[in-house]
Amino acid sequence: MLAGQSVIARLAWRNLWRQPRRTWLTTGAMVFSNILLVFMMSLQFGMYALMIDNSLKPLTGHMQVQARGYVDDQKMRQTVPDIQQLANKLRRQLGIDSVAARAQAYVLASSEDRSYGISVLGVQPDFEIRVSSIPGLVSEGRFLEPGDVDKIVIGKLLARNLKVGIGDSLTLLGSGLDGSFAATVMQVVGLFDSGIAELDRSFAEMPFKQFQEVFSMRGAGHEIVINAANVDAAPALRSRVAAALPAAEDLQVIGWDRLQPGLKQAIQADLSSSFFMYTVLVILVAFSVLNTQLMSVLERTREFGIVMALGLRPGRLGRLVMLETAFIGLMGAAIGAACGALCTLYFSVNGLTIPGMAEMGAQFNIPAQIHPQVSLLSLCAGPCTVFLFSLLAAVYPALRLRWLHPVEAMRAA
Amino acid sequence: MTAVRCVELCKTYRQGEQDIKALDHLSVDIAAGEFVCLSAPSGGGKTTLLNAIGGLEEPDSGEVWIAGKRIDTLGKGALANLRLQQIGFVFQAYNLIPVLSARENVEFVMQLQGIAAAERHEKSTALLQQVGLAGLEDRRPAQMSGGQQQRVAVARAVVSGPALVLADEPTANLDSKTAEGLIDLFTDLNNIYATTFVIATHDPRVMAQVPRLIKMLDGRIVDDIDQRAS
Amino acid sequence: MLRLRILFMLAWRNLWRNKRRTLIMLAAIGIGVWAMIFMTALTQGMVDKMVRDGITALPGEVQVHNPDYLDDPTVANLLPTADSELQRRFGAAGFNQWATRLRVPAVISSERESRGVTLLGIDPARERQLGFVDYARVQGRFLYNAEDDAIVIGRALAATLETGIGKRVVIMSQDPQNNIADRGFRVVGLFRADLESLEKTFVFTGKKTLQSLLKVGNHVSEIAVTGNEYRNVDPLYDKVRRLVDEQVVVSRWTELNPYLGSMLKVMDGFVLVWVIVIFLALSFGLVNTLVMAVFERVREIGLMLALGMKPSNILGQIMIESMFLLIFGLLIGNLLAVASIAPLRGGIDVSVVAKGMAMMGSAPVLYPLLRIQDVLLANAVVLILGLLASLSPAWRAARYEPIKALRKVD
Repeated sequence: MLAGQSVIARLAWRNLWRQPRRTWLTTGAMVFSNILLVFMMSLQFGMYALMIDNSLKPLTGHMQVQARGYVDDQKMRQTVPDIQQLANKLRRQLGIDSVAARAQAYVLASSEDRSYGISVLGVQPDFEIRVSSIPGLVSEGRFLEPGDVDKIVIGKLLARNLKVGIGDSLTLLGSGLDGSFAATVMQVVGLFDSGIAELDRSFAEMPFKQFQEVFSMRGAGHEIVINAANVDAAPALRSRVAAALPAAEDLQVIGWDRLQPGLKQAIQADLSSSFFMYTVLVILVAFSVLNTQLMSVLERTREFGIVMALGLRPGRLGRLVMLETAFIGLMGAAIGAACGALCTLYFSVNGLTIPGMAEMGAQFNIPAQIHPQVSLLSLCAGPCTVFLFSLLAAVYPALRLRWLHPVEAMRAA
Repeated sequence: MTAVRCVELCKTYRQGEQDIKALDHLSVDIAAGEFVCLSAPSGGGKTTLLNAIGGLEEPDSGEVWIAGKRIDTLGKGALANLRLQQIGFVFQAYNLIPVLSARENVEFVMQLQGIAAAERHEKSTALLQQVGLAGLEDRRPAQMSGGQQQRVAVARAVVSGPALVLADEPTANLDSKTAEGLIDLFTDLNNIYATTFVIATHDPRVMAQVPRLIKMLDGRIVDDIDQRAS
Repeated sequence: MLRLRILFMLAWRNLWRNKRRTLIMLAAIGIGVWAMIFMTALTQGMVDKMVRDGITALPGEVQVHNPDYLDDPTVANLLPTADSELQRRFGAAGFNQWATRLRVPAVISSERESRGVTLLGIDPARERQLGFVDYARVQGRFLYNAEDDAIVIGRALAATLETGIGKRVVIMSQDPQNNIADRGFRVVGLFRADLESLEKTFVFTGKKTLQSLLKVGNHVSEIAVTGNEYRNVDPLYDKVRRLVDEQVVVSRWTELNPYLGSMLKVMDGFVLVWVIVIFLALSFGLVNTLVMAVFERVREIGLMLALGMKPSNILGQIMIESMFLLIFGLLIGNLLAVASIAPLRGGIDVSVVAKGMAMMGSAPVLYPLLRIQDVLLANAVVLILGLLASLSPAWRAARYEPIKALRKVD
């Protein structure tokens, strides 16, 4: 039996090279598609990871504990009561430091000559640095420190628009939690430059304690940001957080995909359109294989008739055709994956820039130059699919052999 | 008038380690209107000679003249044109274009020559009738027997009135009755149109019937027999 | 002519000699071409809608500002020319869609919430044509005129502020001397937009009302002009440039929203790349089919050459065969594309990923846009490159030696 198999394998391999041009053309179609698939998937997955990372890093974090409904409306009074204590409790129970409480208000920020409506965040400086990239993005001055009073850090574009610099003062006007008039004067100690225009233009951070007083929060806040070791570890941590929340209060822990629904959906939308494109490519390759194998079977009708007359079962012949296809498919997958990986590696070292990428990238928080990364998934997904569809396409030609009649086949021209 | 003149033709093939002399300083003259049979054992050089005369193969040295014009020096395009205008071919097998009907095959050469449809139709009808295929005009080659196919090929070879018809083993795949009929057809056409026929064969039935029999061996003419005398 | 006819006949009959192979190839070309056109129509539809929405959010394809306004969009950087003078000049120039507006940052507060917004003082009669707000979709009423002292906000903003029609909100902004200017307004209308961000960002009141609140007299921050063709705004730009003073800045929408501007270019590039990628995937099959076709017919080709057919005619015959294949494939592909796009003309609901589409700047409904130039591009690429790809097998066929080809055994 084993000997029989190896004969069939050898026969299949030799048959391929009876028509080298045709074999190479069919392989070529696979190689072409596989290179594209490997490269595009590496590029996409790399871009998605960057998009997620860059979008979550500044503020959102991997998950947040919020009052029910706050995620949709962000209303001042949808608060988490005694938020600092809760944050402390979570830090203890989870055994991690990347837990930070925040409160948020919309105010009119006025300098000497300008006024803008902005969003101001009360943060715990010593914990904020563990969940947010903004402290590290302070390009002028410094970030807040524990014990700071009347100090504020604002976005670089906001500073330019307000015409203020380090040391200048800023008046904040808004309303407190109870609807009372809230006003304070703060000194600018730092400017951050996140590269995300929306943040840099309309965002400020002040000490959590002082935020409590100015906006009459009475110990309440709006969100506790929690970061896992990485995005993939987030879901597991999330269920631990959910278990740790006090049952009595109307709190929930919300994952990043809900906090930034656009992010996940943009990825989904992009994935589905690429899925369409990849499917078309794979189908075209399958057609190419179908055509080649069908022709190769029809061409050899007489030959098949002879070997069948000699006593070879049609099933064996079908297996021969499948094996031939498998050989072509393996060559296509191997060469395609290798070339695709090389191509990706080249760009992962040298970076890829597409004209218009700078403006497009800014919208999705990705840099203008992308370094695609080869992963096992991006390397295998395309070639394996192409391989499977090629085999599938060869089923019809292989099955045709079952209906082959030796005598008629031998007579065929 | 001389229809074909070959002067000192040489052609050598390399087969494996061996050089094979297909034509060895061969000279021959064939007059217009002659019916000549080239006979030789397999590999005797008759097909090579026929191909050289038909401008399908270039000799290594020597001269080929057709109707007073030297052709071995012509380019590919001019040779194609010469074959189209002056020479009719009948090959051993695969004589017909499979996608064309009997009539279309006969008309094929005329169509390439640019002859108008009405004239083509008239000539092809007449010739198909003459070769005994009236009523089969619209059959495709696959729907005809080997003998019928060869008759279509003959009709095509003579239909545009070439000066010379070259046939390479035309009876090789035919049974003896069909073969005889085909030779009779050649003879009739030779008589009617005074077309020069050169037939390469090793079929004794053919050899017995022709007026002039040229026997070849190893690329040389060993015997040139005028069979009308005997 | 006769010779051409026989070439066409031979090519046509040869095409159908192996029906199965031809049909498979036609199906492949058909699917490929369908995918080219379908995907292109979806993409172009999305981009078109995005750009239109984007321009609507600006709005205006060409805008005029004080040079300092772009960096510092406040009440301090208004156009130096008085509004009445601008009105006179633009009114006389014969634009049909233009408006002057006062646009400033402000904070809007209800009893419960505050948000930063962009406050626009407008002349509702003029804005109607620019399509900032779809007046038909305003709940309540829109502003009556430039003197109207009511306010119209977006539906989403109203929900956030927990306010509604008939309720009062407070607007805080600044005058050019940086004195806080604030007053209460009555909400009279809620507008809807395809993009939620627009509903949350923009707040409208009468231009005259805002001018007096901010104490800016007869001045405005911008002039917006819209033509009919957003892909070609240069003529409009030139016309506007001639109407305004040297020191002010005239911007095209591509400069005001570089994301959309580059989107248009990137997508045009994407369409070309997509069409070529699909073509290349097809070309392997096409060349393979022709190689097989030639290979099967070596003897006939030898025969035709021996009978005196010119090699160029053999080449022509294979090329015509390829052309038939391509043209029929294209026909199938185009028909499939039209048939699949026509029922989708009412739009494809992609609201499942609405927020994601919003992140790209697109509405949750996709309207496929079948542009004739894209269809022509796809067809031309397939036909021209397809014929080029066929040259290699055709050339091979034409170069056979007649005798060797005739003698070929299988």
